Amino acid sequence: MAQLEVRDLQVVFGGLRAVDGMNFDVEQGEILCLLGPNGAGKSTTLDLICGKTQPTGGSIRFRDTEISQLLEFRRARLGIGRKFQVPSVYKELTVAENLSVARSSRPGIWHALTTPAVRRNQKSREILDLVGLADKGGVPAGNLSHGETQWLEIAMLIAQGSHLILMDEPTAGMTIQETDRTARIFRSLSADHTLIVVEHDMSFVRTVADRIIVMDQGAKLAEGTIAEIEANEAVKTAYLGH
Amino acid sequence: MDVVLNQIFAGLSFASILLIIALGLAIIYGTMGVINLAHGEFVMLGAYATWALQTHLGLGVVTALPLVFLAVAVVGWVIEKVIVQRLYTRPLDTILATWGIGIILQQAVRMGIGAESKFVKGPEWLSGNIEIGALVMSNYRIFVIFLSIMIVTGTWLLMTRTEFGMKLRAVIQNRGISECYGVEAKKVYSLTFAYGAGLAGIAGALITPLFSTIPTMGTGLVVDAFLVVIVGGLGSLVGTAAAAMLIGEVTALFSIVINDTLGRIAVLAGIILLIRFRPRGLFPADTRR
Amino acid sequence: MNSKLSYDIIGLGLFGAVILFGVPAFFSYDGFELNTFARYLSLAIVSMALALSWGTAGLLNLGQAATFGMGSYAMAMHLKLKASGDNLPDFMGWNNVEALPALWVPFNSLTFTLLAGLLIPAAVGGLIATFMFRARIAGVFVAVITLAFLVAFQLLVIEQQGFTGGQNGLTGLAQLELFGWTVDIYATSFYYLVGGCLMAALIFGLYLTHSKFGLVLRAIREDAERTRYFGYNVANYQTLIFCISAGLAGLAGMLYALVLEFASPTYMSVSFSLAIVIWCAVGGRESVLAAAMGAILVNLAEGRLSDVFVEGWHMMLGVLFVAVVMFMPRGIYGVIVDAGRALRRRGGSEEFAETPSFDTPLNTKQES
Repeated sequence: MAQLEVRDLQVVFGGLRAVDGMNFDVEQGEILCLLGPNGAGKSTTLDLICGKTQPTGGSIRFRDTEISQLLEFRRARLGIGRKFQVPSVYKELTVAENLSVARSSRPGIWHALTTPAVRRNQKSREILDLVGLADKGGVPAGNLSHGETQWLEIAMLIAQGSHLILMDEPTAGMTIQETDRTARIFRSLSADHTLIVVEHDMSFVRTVADRIIVMDQGAKLAEGTIAEIEANEAVKTAYLGH
Repeated sequence: MDVVLNQIFAGLSFASILLIIALGLAIIYGTMGVINLAHGEFVMLGAYATWALQTHLGLGVVTALPLVFLAVAVVGWVIEKVIVQRLYTRPLDTILATWGIGIILQQAVRMGIGAESKFVKGPEWLSGNIEIGALVMSNYRIFVIFLSIMIVTGTWLLMTRTEFGMKLRAVIQNRGISECYGVEAKKVYSLTFAYGAGLAGIAGALITPLFSTIPTMGTGLVVDAFLVVIVGGLGSLVGTAAAAMLIGEVTALFSIVINDTLGRIAVLAGIILLIRFRPRGLFPADTRR
Repeated sequence: MNSKLSYDIIGLGLFGAVILFGVPAFFSYDGFELNTFARYLSLAIVSMALALSWGTAGLLNLGQAATFGMGSYAMAMHLKLKASGDNLPDFMGWNNVEALPALWVPFNSLTFTLLAGLLIPAAVGGLIATFMFRARIAGVFVAVITLAFLVAFQLLVIEQQGFTGGQNGLTGLAQLELFGWTVDIYATSFYYLVGGCLMAALIFGLYLTHSKFGLVLRAIREDAERTRYFGYNVANYQTLIFCISAGLAGLAGMLYALVLEFASPTYMSVSFSLAIVIWCAVGGRESVLAAAMGAILVNLAEGRLSDVFVEGWHMMLGVLFVAVVMFMPRGIYGVIVDAGRALRRRGGSEEFAETPSFDTPLNTKQES
């Protein structure tokens, strides 16, 4: 039984079939990369899984629960985390506060009412160490550099403790060194997390991907390991034209 | 039945005035995302300008319209330049600032002219009625209805057929890129705000023969006009017009079934419900979310 | 314990000392002066209540006066019944109301009244909030809807003369008897009652803002969408803070009706609601303590200046408000915090890094 099962997924925006009949499974602990030209429906697929967009047809099963009609926060509680294309951290909150918001294993109001805003603990410190923000706990996230902001968001996703993390272009705007470091973190994450990553940087994809799905015009064009994809004729056509 | 017909007609003329007010608000909100709570006071200024022109210069309501439009537009332009322009990055604060401006304008009129109500005569040449069976339609109200249709059409043409309209829509779509192509967004904003204010002034002038002119007359109107804008759906001219008609008529009809106040309460409650179930209005601009 | 919390505790302690000891001593325990000041303190409660929903959660409630008015009417209804004894309240007779309306009957009970003054506003606030926030209405729309509700509610109260006394409100009230203690509004003990309520409200407010609940609300204020993907039910958080804010406004209204000895529909007017927003903005909406002080300062100024400039006062208030919004968007609180930061930075201390939430402007992303 796969962790995530997507069947016949489709969504229509005013006549445009942004995602049209997607089928795929993701196994526990796997890193799946979504590739494809702009407008192929990669980000929309992530939106459909995390609940930002409601599908017009098909089903999404996550750990044996049908989630395609659930509200975003319910899906998050089941263990689906999302990183957006534009780094979205809370700029007015400090790094430590951002992390505290992200640590949401108990998202209910009662728990929030009886807990202080920020609790410094071993887990938070370890996560901040991992992404190199250990000495910046008190800095407002708005004062971080672009790279640091990306790290903070990754730290928040780790703190959230999701089973499945959806990443939209996690290395966008990163330097080569930062990208390498991200790749290492991803590999270490896959022990307890499943990842679906939308990415354009092929060297990054080569490093991290267990499996690749290439999308074109809202549908799956090809699926396989990096070697299989690179040898695929249909993919070459889609990317290079006829 | 006669009562109902006459109320429908009265509702239509109220809706026309509401539409002119709401149009100004919608343009200002649609362009710069500013909720202008001083809009009611622009209406009030329009009414007082009409009163002043009539008492001191003997001008009729209709003759005064262009002057009132200009006068209130200038006030709007100045307010935009001095205050609103500095707050574009803080939408929630523009509500507060324009609310404060409203208080200042109201108080200025109260101190300068007085709190007692002023009366403005309607134009002589529109004083009669047209009677169709039991339906009695005052010429003035018919004039108001036609004028509002002209204003909506004119505004639509301005938005879609002129260079200014094109620049305006460009700025709405993407301010940064428009500026790169040499559109002066600031200037567009100022003119738009002034135009919206001017429309409110016209509404104020038109309303004078029907309502009494007092410093607080704008407060209720601005709430109604906002609801029209929201119910209509932001960015939809047709929606705004339809919502104005709907709200005007429902208010008018409710007021026969129950009474004026309860009718108004029922309409407000109905609108709050409507917003709950159709938060993007009756005619949402069709965009991908 | 972080330093922001310690500053807030020090601030609260100083404020409490001034309110509970300084002010009574300053007025040499003069009953009339203290009664006036008690009025300011009750208004400080409604201002800090607004700071909770507006400053913390970014929900600008322009209808705060409605829930304030509900509290004041609850208290006034009880006292009116008490004053009328076995007879019908006088205004009901004038409006041809034959028997005591069912709505009024439970207000014979003090316990019910005190609970109703808190819970009815909270329930109404919660109802509106559920409506709005389930539909994911945010930003300026919250302001417009709450304003519309306020207008409708005030119209209703004025319209239903037989139940509410209409335009005149409820006058000719009895003195409140609280568990055998007859409340004399010109006694020092009454001042302490109001002051105690304000302090309790402030402690409660500070507790909320420093809990994770407050943190999640600040996160929601900045980016509600993002917060949903962390599994928080945003609508529930927003609804609860709206409820709490409305309940505190009800408490303030009850005290206000006691101080002034009448309840009037003007408590529910648009201009009164605007006044609440002004107090909160002048003091600083980010801090419940600052918002409370804003209410006291503006009302003190009004008390002194409106005698001198009878007509001009509203004009001055309007100008002050516009100036605050433009030049001090974070109110007096923001100015003090910035000054403190500048001082410490000059002192070369590293500590300012510990109090960073002071740093960024509040309004970068409130509306989307």
